[in-house]
Amino acid sequence: MSNILTIIRKEFARFFKDKRLVIGTLILPGVLIFVLYTLLGSVFYDSNETYSAKVVHPSSVFAAVADPEGEESSFAFTEIGEDGIDSAKEEIRSGSLDLLIVFPENFDALLTEGEFSPVGGAPNVEIWYDSSSVSSSSAFSAVSAILDVLEDQASNRFDVNISAGGDLTSAEQAEASYYAMLLPFLILTFLYSGCMGIAPESIAGEKERGTIATLLVTPIKRSQLVIGKIVSLSVISSLSAISSFIGTFLSMPRLMGGSIGSALGSYSVGQYFALFAVMISAVLIIVSLISIISSYAKSVKEAASLSVPLMIVVMLVGISTMLFTTSAPAAFLIPVYNCVQVMAQIFSLQFSWVSLVITLVSNLVYIVLLVFLLTKMFKSEKVIFNQ
Amino acid sequence: MQEAQDISSVRREIVRAENVRKTFTLSRKQRAIEKSKTGKKVALDGLSFTAYEGEIYGLLGPNGAGKTTMLRILATLIRPDEGDARIAGHSVLKEPDAVRSSIGFLTSELKLEDFFTPAYLFGFFGKLHGMSDEFLAKRKDELFTKFGIDRFAEVKVGDLSTGMKQKVSIAVSIIHDPAVIIFDEPTNGLDVLTAKVVTDFLAEMKEQGKSIIVSTHIFSLVEKLCDRVGVIIDGRMAAEGTLPEVAGDRSLEDAFFDIYKRTVTGV
Repeated sequence: MSNILTIIRKEFARFFKDKRLVIGTLILPGVLIFVLYTLLGSVFYDSNETYSAKVVHPSSVFAAVADPEGEESSFAFTEIGEDGIDSAKEEIRSGSLDLLIVFPENFDALLTEGEFSPVGGAPNVEIWYDSSSVSSSSAFSAVSAILDVLEDQASNRFDVNISAGGDLTSAEQAEASYYAMLLPFLILTFLYSGCMGIAPESIAGEKERGTIATLLVTPIKRSQLVIGKIVSLSVISSLSAISSFIGTFLSMPRLMGGSIGSALGSYSVGQYFALFAVMISAVLIIVSLISIISSYAKSVKEAASLSVPLMIVVMLVGISTMLFTTSAPAAFLIPVYNCVQVMAQIFSLQFSWVSLVITLVSNLVYIVLLVFLLTKMFKSEKVIFNQ
Repeated sequence: MQEAQDISSVRREIVRAENVRKTFTLSRKQRAIEKSKTGKKVALDGLSFTAYEGEIYGLLGPNGAGKTTMLRILATLIRPDEGDARIAGHSVLKEPDAVRSSIGFLTSELKLEDFFTPAYLFGFFGKLHGMSDEFLAKRKDELFTKFGIDRFAEVKVGDLSTGMKQKVSIAVSIIHDPAVIIFDEPTNGLDVLTAKVVTDFLAEMKEQGKSIIVSTHIFSLVEKLCDRVGVIIDGRMAAEGTLPEVAGDRSLEDAFFDIYKRTVTGV
């Protein structure tokens, strides 16, 4: 036991006393995720943009919908005559104008008095735009949507969800199911990338530099060395994942227009405990797997490249909750997948103790097997001296 | 000859290798270099030798003879395919942990982490050897003074000179005051001053009653230090005994080439 603690202390000393490692593993991921998500958020959700549009034969009904009085409009309409159409098209091509809308002369009257005509035979609204310009194509989508509504209203045969009907979910459930899809994937990805940053260095790196052989000629048992490594790497990977998670947490309002904070408040202490237990078992399995890859590899570089296929598998498993969920007990015997599913259950407020217990017990068995395998590898000269 | 045997019989055996065989599987590239058809290289072909308590035993042989493989087996880093070796009564196969407690093993392949200081590494390896704080402090004081490490105790290993690194490695390898010291090519790659520190150290260890096994291809080192020598050629013991027994009235170098010629050509 004391040997395990000695190894853990040494691994911590190696990590925490190295400023570059601490910054690269604990601080940068969170900061980068925050900056990246915030930037993405500001690109996707820039609601302040105003589109410039020129209109021939303007319609007051359309203008009332697109440019309601007293509200900030996202369109700046300019009326032009038919003779300005060609030059307006040129302006769109050159990017100085977003949109040109050519209404039929009596558009407002058509809306109230117009008759049903087959497609192609009815009066046409021309919208000219440039799909290669983001603002022009957004303006096109917005205007098309408004016109679709107007067309629906003009030839109304039935309404959907106007007099009755609606969404029966509670706001809490809606938010929960949203996070049930997203969070397991994020947590798994953060844990994996945290581990990728340190485990190859700690095991393949020690092999490459010849420092592991120095350890192996001391009386320490191989199993103690393996357990010490896995525990310390798991703690550091978890810290790295927490850093990434904090970055996500802080940038979420900007990216999604929501807050994880309000969603996180809806879970009970028991659910948090379950989540914590699942995450610990997930991190131990991931660290063990990457450690095995790192022991097999001849160098840090090889370990990192061999870990990539496993990362793809883990990420695919991570998005599995977006595609389907399961409650079949046997599914909770599959490592990693079971963690994702239980996390999804917890986040979607459909948590069951049975799946948690199956997951934790089966993962414990896998972890013991992986530690056993890694110990075997540490005992094998083919693995340790395969330079 | 008679006298040597008498001495051997009263001295206690400290290291005994019995019929040790070790075969390595070659990679495709190595196969081409070695011109091997079987894809196997026999590194040790039934090697046996005995070293007695308190002596310096030298394994002498050309590169690739199997010296390092033998020492790695003694250090329990690799396992023999056949045969066994006992160190201070412990089998390398059955009690590797006990073997590791009783030896100090040093080779140029065993490195110390550049990131840590000698003082930190001393504490770390001392704990892995199960040493008490008191004993550890005493050994640190002794060894750091002896090798002049005290001034560099808080300098990262990566920033030390090659010679100082080697001294720190030696100090770490014998931190637990082992009864047996195993040294693979002790002076390889060292400048004359550091090499002198190492050979003086080995002689001093012998005076303290330690048993030492060194591997080398340097004749002068064997002549200067070793009580007994084993000449390994192609994984077999070609000659073994005290220096006069092996070399007779010739120089060790001449004797070695005779033995080599006899072994390789069979004449």
